[in-house]
Amino acid sequence: MSKQINVALIGNPNTGKTSVFNSLTGLNQKVGNYPGITVEKKEGICKLPRGVKAHIIDLPGTYSLNASSLDENVVIELLLNKNDKDFPDVAVVVSDVENLKRNLLLFTQIKDLEIPTVLVINMSDRMKYKGISLDIPYLESQLQTKIALVSTRKNEGIDNLKTLISNYKELSITPCLNASEIDKEYFDNLRKAFPNQLLYKLWLVITQDVNFGKTDRNEIDAVADFKTKTKADLKRLQQKETIKRYQFINNTLKKGQTIDLSTAKDLRIKLDRILTHKIWGYAIFLVILLTIFQAIYDWSAIPMDFIDSSFASLSEWTKNSLPEGAFTSLLAEGIIPGLGGIVIFIPQIAFLFLFISVLEESGYMSRVVFLMDRGMRRFGLSGKSVVPLISGTACAIPAIMATRNIESWKERLITILVTPFTTCSARLPVYLIIISLVIPEGRFLGLGYQALTLMLLYLIGFGAALISAMILNKVLKIKSKSFFVVEMPNYKLPLIKNVALTVVEKTKSFVFGAGKIILAISIVLWFLASYGPGEEFNNAEEIVTEKFASKHLTEEELQNEIASQKLEYSFIGLTGRAIEPAIRPLGYDWKIGIAIVSSFAAREVFVGTLATIYSVGSDEEETIKNRMAGEVNPILGGPLFNFASGISLLLFYAFAMQCMSTLAIVKRETNSWKWPILQLVLMSVFAYVVAFIAFQILI
Amino acid sequence: MNHLLQNILAFTLLFLALGFLVKKFFWKNSKPTKDIGKHDCDNCH
Repeated sequence: MSKQINVALIGNPNTGKTSVFNSLTGLNQKVGNYPGITVEKKEGICKLPRGVKAHIIDLPGTYSLNASSLDENVVIELLLNKNDKDFPDVAVVVSDVENLKRNLLLFTQIKDLEIPTVLVINMSDRMKYKGISLDIPYLESQLQTKIALVSTRKNEGIDNLKTLISNYKELSITPCLNASEIDKEYFDNLRKAFPNQLLYKLWLVITQDVNFGKTDRNEIDAVADFKTKTKADLKRLQQKETIKRYQFINNTLKKGQTIDLSTAKDLRIKLDRILTHKIWGYAIFLVILLTIFQAIYDWSAIPMDFIDSSFASLSEWTKNSLPEGAFTSLLAEGIIPGLGGIVIFIPQIAFLFLFISVLEESGYMSRVVFLMDRGMRRFGLSGKSVVPLISGTACAIPAIMATRNIESWKERLITILVTPFTTCSARLPVYLIIISLVIPEGRFLGLGYQALTLMLLYLIGFGAALISAMILNKVLKIKSKSFFVVEMPNYKLPLIKNVALTVVEKTKSFVFGAGKIILAISIVLWFLASYGPGEEFNNAEEIVTEKFASKHLTEEELQNEIASQKLEYSFIGLTGRAIEPAIRPLGYDWKIGIAIVSSFAAREVFVGTLATIYSVGSDEEETIKNRMAGEVNPILGGPLFNFASGISLLLFYAFAMQCMSTLAIVKRETNSWKWPILQLVLMSVFAYVVAFIAFQILI
Repeated sequence: MNHLLQNILAFTLLFLALGFLVKKFFWKNSKPTKDIGKHDCDNCH
């Protein structure tokens, strides 16, 4: 059996750590969560020379080991706990050649934990553009490590890095800084109290704001028989430590790094001036958004039609090929249409994540955050609220988690309360199917009406978040102050490999995550729609035949009437009709009502639910879209999904709090039921009123 | 017989689906979690 070692990949944000991870592991990687928390855990396997295998963990980006967020806690918790199964045999610290000074702070801290450490200097291909030259042997001798000069873009230096990792036993574990230099008397006492412990590890445990695993700082205080420091004293010593580390780094880089500005060619400043300009910045962002939404529509039309018709054919084939019975009907009318309702959106979801990933990889997204910060303050939000609001376009859950780094409680609470307004990816399937039914396909100045509507819905969500933030800022009487710092990474051409991996990973989690729920709900719905109590359901055939005896219906028409009667008196039909009076003023029938109720589990269930309900009892090979287009409004006549009811439905989903999971996370983050209940009631009432007004005006 | 088998298969799937939904949304996890919670958004979207 070949030997396997643990390798921790650590680094500041924007150093290309994930690119190094992708280069080392290729497709041998998986993404999960750290137990008990929603911090992404990426791990993979890499083959090293001499038959050694490396289990590589891509740890969250952190600027130092002085943790201030949950992500950073993950890093320090692992590095302090030797009993953790993932505790690294070797740490690989990834730095960016242009920010070496700042990146080395984290390196020196990790080195002082006496973990064998390799230093990766990434983006080496940019050295000539920036006029940077490095004396690697000198740096290696000063930092007492081995350095791998890597360019993930040009795929250079990865083999050397693999060799260095496999030779990790030869790495020196001598610390960069003698911890006693921070405060000799205090550290001497600490050493006396804990002679067997690593001093720097103790120091980290003492100075962190939270306890880590089994290493409890209160225990250290209790065991130590010397006077413990106050919080202010500890802060002062932490600052002293940072200064000492930078003195060491400055001395090292003075000889080890030369920067010749006369040879540097830098477009960054010029680009920043345009992209963050107070007029051009917004205009460019708007153009980019328009292009993205138009492309999502144009590029995905053909694959979507193909998927839709394939599922319709599969359903028909199943019905014709398998023996007649409950299981065949469940497959053909429940499971296949339900799954079709999610698979059909794969092309659009993939394109959306493709564009988001390209914007992030290129460094443009940080400019957007900076640009938005100016406007945010007017609405009582912090610049840091931009990140949750933008990441809310994927899912509100991690977005609400991301508010944890907002120091001001008031700003954090407001951000938590308004984030569910931003258009999450779960709303996308609902929007796409309704838009395709009620918005014409024409174009205005080259832009399709459908793409413009989709973009408008995103803007409405964002606008609703900002306006409600402004109102909450006035209503909530909590005083607080905060500041905003964002790092502007260099502009880069996105790496195709990174973009592709992101798209595959995000699409996979969207489809498989939602797919399981949709599959289960489709099965339950099929039963509820296929069985019912009472005479009207059980004797549907006799009742309908008798009712239409004088009308001379064809066999097909008669079968349709029977199916309709059965559906109406099935369990789901009776439930739907009970709630129908409440939703009829919005232009919906009982089938849409059922879809709204079931989509409270997850919004995207809406389409799958309608696909299942419309399939039950139907013998025709039809796509989901055509089935929905063919529905007739039982009261008003004409198509059920018309412009008025469609817009009403779009607005309802834009504003309603249709997500159980988000409510649960708001409860947990605010530690009270008051806020999620308030959020649910206010958003639902608002959505109902807006949808009602829209339908009544447009009808 | 064929109908009986079809019904058994269909109802087995129904109970599996119900079990999954109850576990997903209504089952309280007895394991202690850290203060941030145990939710994984990828599991619901």
